[in-house]
Amino acid sequence: MDLPVEHVLRPTSLDEAVELLGKHPHAVPVAGGTDLVVQLRDGRRAATVLLDLSAAGLASISARNGGVEIGAATTMDAIARSSAVQEVSPALVAAARQVGAWPIQCRATLGGNLANASPAADTAPPLLVAEALVHLVSAAGERRLPVTELFRGPGETCLRPGELIRSVEVPARGSNGAVREGFVKVGPRWEQIISVASLAHRVELAADGSIRQARLAVGSVAPTPLRARAAERFLAGKRPTAAVREEGARRLQADISPIDDVRAPAWYRRLVTAVLLDRALTELIDE
Amino acid sequence: MSSTRVSFVLNGEQRTFEVPAGRRLLDLLRDDAGLTGTKEGCGAGECGACTVLLNDLPVPSCLVLAASCEGGEVVTIEGLGGDRSLHPLQRTMVEHGGVQCGFCTPGVVITGAALLEHGVTDPLEQGRRLAGNLCRCTGYTKIFEALKAAPREPGDG
Amino acid sequence: MADARSPLGGSHPRPDALAKVTGQTRYVGDISLPGMLHAAIATSAVPAARVRGIDVTAALAVPGVEAVMTEKDIPAENLIGVIFPDQPLLVEDRVRMVGDRLAVVAARSPEAAWRAAGAVVARLEPVSGVHDPIAALGPDAPLVHTSGNLVHTFRVERGDFDRAAARAEVVVEAEYRIGGQEHAYLEPQACLAVPEARRITILASCQCPFYIQQGVARVLGLPLSAVRVEQAPTGGAFGGKEDYPSEPAACAALLAWRTRRPVRLLYPRELDLQVTSKRHRMEIRHRWGADGAGRLRFAEVDVVVDAGAYAGLSTVVAERANASAIGPYEVPAVRVRTRVAYTNNLFGGAFRGFGAPQVAWAHEATIDKLARELGLDPIELRRRNVLGERRRITSTGQRLPAPVLARACLEKAVEASASARPSRPLPPGRWRRGTGTALVLYGCNLHHGGQHLDRSSAVVILQPDASAIVRVGLTEMGQGNLVAAQTVAAEALGIEPAKVEVWQPDTTTVADSGPTVASRGAHASGLAILDAVRRLRRRLDPVAAEMLGCEPAQVVLASGAAGVAGEPARAVTLERVAAEMVRRRIETIATGWYRSRRRRFDPATGLGSPYEFYAMACHVARVAVDPDLGLVRVEHVAAAHDVGRVLHRDALQGQVQGGVVQAMGWALTEELKLSGGRLLNPGFTDYLIPTADDTPEISIALLEDAPGSGPFGAKGIGEPSFIPTAAAIRNAVCDAIGIEIDRLPLTPPVIVEALAARHPFAFLLSQPVPRPAEDLGRR
Repeated sequence: MDLPVEHVLRPTSLDEAVELLGKHPHAVPVAGGTDLVVQLRDGRRAATVLLDLSAAGLASISARNGGVEIGAATTMDAIARSSAVQEVSPALVAAARQVGAWPIQCRATLGGNLANASPAADTAPPLLVAEALVHLVSAAGERRLPVTELFRGPGETCLRPGELIRSVEVPARGSNGAVREGFVKVGPRWEQIISVASLAHRVELAADGSIRQARLAVGSVAPTPLRARAAERFLAGKRPTAAVREEGARRLQADISPIDDVRAPAWYRRLVTAVLLDRALTELIDE
Repeated sequence: MSSTRVSFVLNGEQRTFEVPAGRRLLDLLRDDAGLTGTKEGCGAGECGACTVLLNDLPVPSCLVLAASCEGGEVVTIEGLGGDRSLHPLQRTMVEHGGVQCGFCTPGVVITGAALLEHGVTDPLEQGRRLAGNLCRCTGYTKIFEALKAAPREPGDG
Repeated sequence: MADARSPLGGSHPRPDALAKVTGQTRYVGDISLPGMLHAAIATSAVPAARVRGIDVTAALAVPGVEAVMTEKDIPAENLIGVIFPDQPLLVEDRVRMVGDRLAVVAARSPEAAWRAAGAVVARLEPVSGVHDPIAALGPDAPLVHTSGNLVHTFRVERGDFDRAAARAEVVVEAEYRIGGQEHAYLEPQACLAVPEARRITILASCQCPFYIQQGVARVLGLPLSAVRVEQAPTGGAFGGKEDYPSEPAACAALLAWRTRRPVRLLYPRELDLQVTSKRHRMEIRHRWGADGAGRLRFAEVDVVVDAGAYAGLSTVVAERANASAIGPYEVPAVRVRTRVAYTNNLFGGAFRGFGAPQVAWAHEATIDKLARELGLDPIELRRRNVLGERRRITSTGQRLPAPVLARACLEKAVEASASARPSRPLPPGRWRRGTGTALVLYGCNLHHGGQHLDRSSAVVILQPDASAIVRVGLTEMGQGNLVAAQTVAAEALGIEPAKVEVWQPDTTTVADSGPTVASRGAHASGLAILDAVRRLRRRLDPVAAEMLGCEPAQVVLASGAAGVAGEPARAVTLERVAAEMVRRRIETIATGWYRSRRRRFDPATGLGSPYEFYAMACHVARVAVDPDLGLVRVEHVAAAHDVGRVLHRDALQGQVQGGVVQAMGWALTEELKLSGGRLLNPGFTDYLIPTADDTPEISIALLEDAPGSGPFGAKGIGEPSFIPTAAAIRNAVCDAIGIEIDRLPLTPPVIVEALAARHPFAFLLSQPVPRPAEDLGRR
């Protein structure tokens, strides 16, 4: 059945996209549509006009400032196959490979995943620990935002009316070889699931095996994906012993606020997050 | 609802369609192009029965706006084999018993053909990438056997 | 010359496979007719209410709408449902479940139809409902129907119970909570009704075209002869298209009858998940006892079946559950009670196994518990008690013919499991492995209570070129009924399978052949076909005999020819025989008939022969469990099946593989999250069926040493392939973590919850959640 949409605007350049969005402020931007089309069909969102960004030149992966700039309309599949992205954010590549299944990955885009702002967005935790920058553009100009400031609530970003995500810049990881990174997502089935809890970690180790700095980001356990600051502060400067890991799991509970929903109860999400942190830290010892 | 015109190569042939703005690629294929091989199993991108190739990659056509296909290339199950021949995976699916009720089959074959085209031969990786094509009848085992038995190039065997 | 090999037991390509693999098969949704309208249904969102009025004005005003109908518009009887007269097609004064139909709509586009359905306004006054089947049987429960909430009670009582109980040294008691399941066939419910003055044709995605014929005739008030039902190629069914399709078919028929135009109804997936029948949820209590030597002494089983709002097939499901509740074991004294309760939940219906999987899950769990109490290996306990070792008398007192292959299935599966080397690497985790066994006996075909349905009709038409057209009344839904029928006919006529075409079942071509259920497809189709070929040969053999110069009794058909028994050199092609029959205008069409044999059974005591014969089955599952996250990977399933005779090897294996994976879903990930009778997860996003990534390694042993009375000795496989798996997986998980779990499904939170205080981070749950740190202004 047809979607209840009246017009589809299809700009062929970013400038045209920005201009059209300025003229039609209620137009809803769409690229892969893997979230939006379902929402339109279910009646959870309404849109008379869509702004189809899939031909606006926003799909690209290029080097920038030693890191990588990923166009908002770049698909998960393209990210998963990119050695350039693997270089600066292996966690993002791992996440891209786990969004839905392969056909979804061939449509779903990075910009869409962020703009949809699900608390379970898989690409968010890796970008949070990479401290990526989101480049926004509108008729009023450009601005950029640390990804940590992008999400406001479930399904809500701080994008202003008329604003589009143009790209995401993932900085270089730093030449220090002692950086460990990973992303794990847990759900009630092995593949093609919305996570009940996810964890991305990027940990810089000191020469003596202690944690110089830890960045931890969690998904599906709070109104937005977020950095687990209390746990990070505690772990800094410590060795990942069993006692430290246990206390780290305790501190992590202060960062998160999971709810009971149809997918899982809150208590289970708390346990899973604790286990994921414990495992991420345990791996540091083994290496 | 206004209509939109979209042109793309469909199963090797340049086509132009005039459809309502909100039309999904799935409905364009089934209703406007008369190609009913691609199925609707859920309409939410979860079951894979609607999978087609868009620019050589498998996509859930129930989530693709027809308008987004402008200038692209779409291949459906009807266009997968050659003019009068079968794609090797179609042949091996028949030979190895990978087809039961058949409703998931077009989507499975499309994704499977894309896997082979992209050189994915590790069964575990195949299983992960096929996870978006649900099958309720076969338990997948004979689908994996068909994938293993299918040579890469059409006309190879 | 034709292929000299017999097709029996082989793997020739299934006749429907090529069309399916090229996208040429036309399911209902692929068929459009000029002038066709699209149907939609308006359903209740509340589970229990009084209906004060239904207002269709707004619905009628939606542009493109041609008709909106309510119960006032039904020409004859407002009744649907195969057995009990408790279910209206369209609501009258009461709503009893979420999904009860308020009105039906026909419009010129599906968008308009569903928009109009959403615009139907029903004034519903909610009343108290009951959502727990045990509570429903209590004294103060709100009544779902005025007849009371107890639909029926089945029993089995055998042996001196008190004496046997006294001899038991070890007693196990358990309460099992077993969740339902959604069929999740890939093709949602679909039908197309085409009216024609005084008669109507229904094209339906279904298992039972004759049920639809009866349902539509009743609602429209037509003679049965005026209702033609053709089964469309059906994209999966599993019991979900057994009785249910009569409902959408009657809706489409009503609208077609009113508008005089073809009407097609396609269910959106969410609606299908929300309102169609489900596997029954059951609450099962066990009290079983054994002596010190590990011999079972008594077994007491109490089952409560949640029928939902309408009885549907619930009593038949309960009947099978009741007869199967003890499993393949020799137990001197048994007491089974199975009660069916109405609730205001979604109604339960047929689903592969039909009550047997639930009671098997329970009896296999209890056997394992008893083994642990006795300090015995669970496999050894089964060996000591399985039927066929000492005696061959079932829990209902039925004597089984030798050989009984229960022990053989057990040993084969155990051996295959032990020698398996599953090779899939596991992600990081403190994995624990476990093995679990489940042994079941399956009563083939219909229960004694369903004997009036157990007959089947076939037509065989020999073509002038010696190809053959076959018609049967049983349906192909992916399980292989088509290839089974084709194989049997080809074998009987001595021609290659490719020369046999079995066309879609159509109620105007054969007599009522009963439902395609109870794994009876190959059995009933095959035997009717064999009968038809026998009758055809009464006319064919004399012609061949004349051409060969022998007696008709000496004529054999094989390799596309008619030959003389024992003299391979004397043969004439079947084509020549057929041509001669045509020339002489001898009848080349024959009908065939099958009906099951009479047997004795007493419904009051549950004793006697509920089934004609049985198939044994054993599954052994090997799992790896990550106890910290509650995740399970099923690494290997060894399946051993007593199949009687392999008709088509690929089809049999495909059924076992499909059954194992579907049952694995029921065991671990498929949860019907119901709240107040409403499904909270009506979508594949949150109703999780197994994906290709979940597939375990499966080894299959097919035992042919105990023929059944099916064609060439075949027994059924559709359900035995499903019944033991979930029980084996449950037993394997419990073995892995050392804890009993008595509820299904074993989802990750359920497994972690069972571990409780043993979980390494359990302490986090018992302490208060720390206050968020101060600078959380920016998350």
